[in-house]
Amino acid sequence: MLGYIAKRLLGLLPTLVIVGLLVFLFVHLLPGDPARLAAGPDATPETVDLVRRDLGLDRSLPEQFARFVAGVVRFDFGNSIRTKRPVATEIADRFMPTFWLTVWSMAWSVTFGMAIGIISAVYRNRAPDRIGMALAVSGISFPAFALGMVLMQLFSVQLGWLPTVGNDSWRHYILPSLTLGAAVAAIMARFTRSSFVDILGDDYIRTARAKGLDERHVVIKHGLRNALIPVVTMMGLQFGFLLGGSIVVEKVFNWPGLGRLLVDAVDMRDYPVIQALVLLFSLEFILINLVVDVLYGLINPAIRYK
Amino acid sequence: MQFNYRPLACALAFAAVAAPAYAAKDVVFAVASTFTTTDPYDANDTLSQAMAKSFYEGMFGFDKDMKLIPVLADSYDVSKDGLVYTIKLKRGIKFHDGTDFKADAVKANLDRVTNPENKLKRYGLYNNNIAKTEAVDDYTARITLKTPFSPFIAQLAHPSTVMISPAALTKWGNKDIAFHPVGTGPFKFVEWKATDYLKVEKFDGYWRKGYPKVDTITWKPVVDNNTRAAMIQTGEAHFTFPVSYEVADVLKAKADLDVVAAPSIVLRYLSMNTQQKPFDNPKVRQAIAYAINKEALAKVAFNGYAAPAEGIAPQGVEYAVKMGPWPYDVAKAKQLLAEAGYPNGFETELWSAYNHTTAQKVTQFLQQQLQQVGIRTKITLLEAGQRVEKVESWQDPATAPVRLYYVGWSTSTGEADWALRPLLYGESWPPRLFNTAYYKNPKFDAGIKGAQLATSSAEKSKFYKEAQEAAWNDAPWAPLVVEKLLSANSKKLSGVYVIPDASFNFWEVDLK
Repeated sequence: MLGYIAKRLLGLLPTLVIVGLLVFLFVHLLPGDPARLAAGPDATPETVDLVRRDLGLDRSLPEQFARFVAGVVRFDFGNSIRTKRPVATEIADRFMPTFWLTVWSMAWSVTFGMAIGIISAVYRNRAPDRIGMALAVSGISFPAFALGMVLMQLFSVQLGWLPTVGNDSWRHYILPSLTLGAAVAAIMARFTRSSFVDILGDDYIRTARAKGLDERHVVIKHGLRNALIPVVTMMGLQFGFLLGGSIVVEKVFNWPGLGRLLVDAVDMRDYPVIQALVLLFSLEFILINLVVDVLYGLINPAIRYK
Repeated sequence: MQFNYRPLACALAFAAVAAPAYAAKDVVFAVASTFTTTDPYDANDTLSQAMAKSFYEGMFGFDKDMKLIPVLADSYDVSKDGLVYTIKLKRGIKFHDGTDFKADAVKANLDRVTNPENKLKRYGLYNNNIAKTEAVDDYTARITLKTPFSPFIAQLAHPSTVMISPAALTKWGNKDIAFHPVGTGPFKFVEWKATDYLKVEKFDGYWRKGYPKVDTITWKPVVDNNTRAAMIQTGEAHFTFPVSYEVADVLKAKADLDVVAAPSIVLRYLSMNTQQKPFDNPKVRQAIAYAINKEALAKVAFNGYAAPAEGIAPQGVEYAVKMGPWPYDVAKAKQLLAEAGYPNGFETELWSAYNHTTAQKVTQFLQQQLQQVGIRTKITLLEAGQRVEKVESWQDPATAPVRLYYVGWSTSTGEADWALRPLLYGESWPPRLFNTAYYKNPKFDAGIKGAQLATSSAEKSKFYKEAQEAAWNDAPWAPLVVEKLLSANSKKLSGVYVIPDASFNFWEVDLK
């Protein structure tokens, strides 16, 4: 197992190199001159040239790529064009708020989603199922920014219970994680339900019931474990998406997260930031996939790693 | 209301026994975007420069009505040939680091920005005209220009031209000064967390006695309009700008809030590429100006928080001439189009420099208005990068793809030169500056040049008048509207003003 993980981690490197090259070419293909954008609307051509040299954009593409790779190897991603601060600092400032928001959103939405999913599957086509699935469909279809605004209007402006913006205390996390997790909870509920419905008709469930186990045992012990494989896959994917930051939630709650950093960076053609973020997101996805694969083995011992 | 706060105030007082007897006055400003830098010489956005007024001041500045006033300067003199400016400085002013403000600071700051080695974004604003700066004695600075430039004092009043402590500049260097600003302003820099806030605190040695009246200001960049509106309702912010038209009415209904619609010099116009058919014909351009109902535009797209433009430079800019509004007359527009040989109109592109909701409403309204005189337009809302590529840095004027272009301008020097020269001067075609109409009229250019060299105010105003009348009649633009600036503040807050170029004045800020 450890050997397997080590091998997978080694396999990371070529993937990241390819991603790095692609993202480098991609950002340089974006229309718009970063020097002109950084210099601002009333800058003269001389000023734009100054800014261009300052940013190192007057060099040839291969030279810029070589400098980029040489920097990345030393974990130096350069300075942001927009703020002139090191890219590593810009990302570090926002990584933890995004990470914790993701963790809290995932925590409640997975618990809640799976509970609804299981209940819906057990009471299939009866009232609890209908209510659960109605909730799930509204969770998917209600746009996050509208949900965020409604929650803020209600709990911050009208009732005055919770703060509007910032991330200083646990109270600041409640509304954003509710907003961010709503769609995930809905997806988890639907996924768990369909996975459970399949399994509840399987032979080993019938056997379990036949040997006289009570229904709770059948569902939790025999059903849940087997139903988990697709649910865990989905969980990993959702976790990866949320770690990329949510533009909408970050905008509404002014959350200092990675999503807005990426949007701002694209707006200003802030090449170093875009490159570092895309590399980071790829790395996150690869690592999450690895964790998911390892989890498969824990959930189902029949799965072997070679 | 008052009584409800008493127990809380008592509790706080107990909690902080060591604190002074009065309650700290901490003010929060919620603004629309993150600051790019604290260094006004390296900033190109109005907001960063407005925030920098917390700790920086210039020799000259603007009052809340955008009238030019001396700040750190006491008086000035111009030589007969208009080349040498001698500025007397106020005495007894200290920087936050304890050093005295003297003429060497003027030299250090202007030398810094005119040196291309320092690669500052405002380089172009100064290097064109400043030849050298000298400290004649401790309180006299002398600036020599390359060519006479009568709006020079207005340029010194621009929020970029601030006095940074020379000692701090030496200590931190050209780049790092942005993270350690040291000026003469009412507030000292405390902390900047780029994602969250920038905090400043009262400077006890401030030269205007009795000011500042509050202990700290926290600048919070909050992108979303509705979120800022929520913050001012919950009391988490005391002042917010801008307020979107949609929420203005909601905020107006709150008893403890004031919504202020301040006059601005933000002009919105529709520029037409005069080098390309059919816009090379002045009759076509005039027809377009006639075809648009500006009153209705202000109502439809700006919810009434705008007024029809009355000239080429908006009222409030020094030397602006009032000539309009341009009348709305569909019959006349049709007649002019027929005379120009387009009785059935034509097809063309309509671009917008912005892609926000208001720009969307404006362009749709313009499309519908032009349709009525037979001009069919295809709308494209340009995103910032596209705008730069297709308009601002297009190299060859002959092939410039821009036709009808909806855009705006705010004159940050408050003086006609910067309202006219970047936008309509013959040498200001992109990529040099912003003459997106590719307009060139010797009469207009002569007016601008003449005003630059003029030595008396009367002479200047004559030249600017000629230039503006020429451009108005030629109609390289259809002047549309002048916006109003909507801000909201808690009734407890006073002394904060949004000034006409969308910057802020707040050294008198106080909290009840």
